[in-house]
Amino acid sequence: MTDGTEAESLKYQAIQEWDSVGHMALMALLEDEFGILLDTDDIIDFSSYEAGMEILKKYDVAF
Amino acid sequence: MLLHEKTAIITGTNRGIGLATLEAFAANGAKVYAHARRETPDFLALLDDISRMYGTEIWPVCFDLTDYEAMKQKMREIAASKHQIDILVNNAGITADDTAFLMTPVEKMKTVFDVNFFAQMALTQYAARMMTRNKSVSKSIVNVASIAGIDGEAQIEYSASKAALIGATKKLAIELNDYNIRVNAVAPGVTDTDMARAMDESFIRRATEKTVMKRKAQTGEISGAILFLASELSSFMTGQVLRVDGGM
Repeated sequence: MTDGTEAESLKYQAIQEWDSVGHMALMALLEDEFGILLDTDDIIDFSSYEAGMEILKKYDVAF
Repeated sequence: MLLHEKTAIITGTNRGIGLATLEAFAANGAKVYAHARRETPDFLALLDDISRMYGTEIWPVCFDLTDYEAMKQKMREIAASKHQIDILVNNAGITADDTAFLMTPVEKMKTVFDVNFFAQMALTQYAARMMTRNKSVSKSIVNVASIAGIDGEAQIEYSASKAALIGATKKLAIELNDYNIRVNAVAPGVTDTDMARAMDESFIRRATEKTVMKRKAQTGEISGAILFLASELSSFMTGQVLRVDGGM
């Protein structure tokens, strides 16, 4: 990722790095960073940057 | 000390195989989140006794395994504690009335599956996610299945739910290997627990007479196998089902 615009357009499995293993690594990183434990449904629904931002709001993660 | 510096979650630790596993883990240096359905004074006193006896930390984690909201809440508390989870033992389970397949309503089958399989999977999803956080350290999940899940010689819902757990063990072994998590199962034969004592005596007699040793297992004989699979002694084993059945 080179800038914010590119990040915002990211979708699950649209790039090589965001495969299922990368997805779980990302979830673990977010959980560690924000001290949360995501619901399994939210992990499934975390299908893009945009969807992820909405999901994180449910956990009172502020940006 | 086979589990020095390790932290484990064990379900169903208030009695039977779960309690024996808790003691074996504590004796081998593990810190343990000890699950039971109810937080009773007796259970808390038991944990306190074991903790003091072995000089290790044991934290009660009490919730009904089929209450997914309570499970989520407790797992969040564990995640917030920042303890690295190294081991999960899916031990808690229920048996069923001794009825023939043709006389067993599907709803009764679902009730047993809810505890013996689906709840274990839900808990494993949470625990495995916590376990993925440090791939450099080897982790282990041990599922307590049953020889009934292999041989089918128990009630349909019990045998089938344990068979499902064995199937999941093999699948999870493949999938979680990427995260340095081994997944194995033990398949105990008839074991001297409250659950076995509640079963039909003639069934127990027939089952034990078929074994080479011709007796029930003691809980400590099953927890020894669980300890082995949880520890690095079994570091090259994953996706395996270890029969602990007195020789069949």
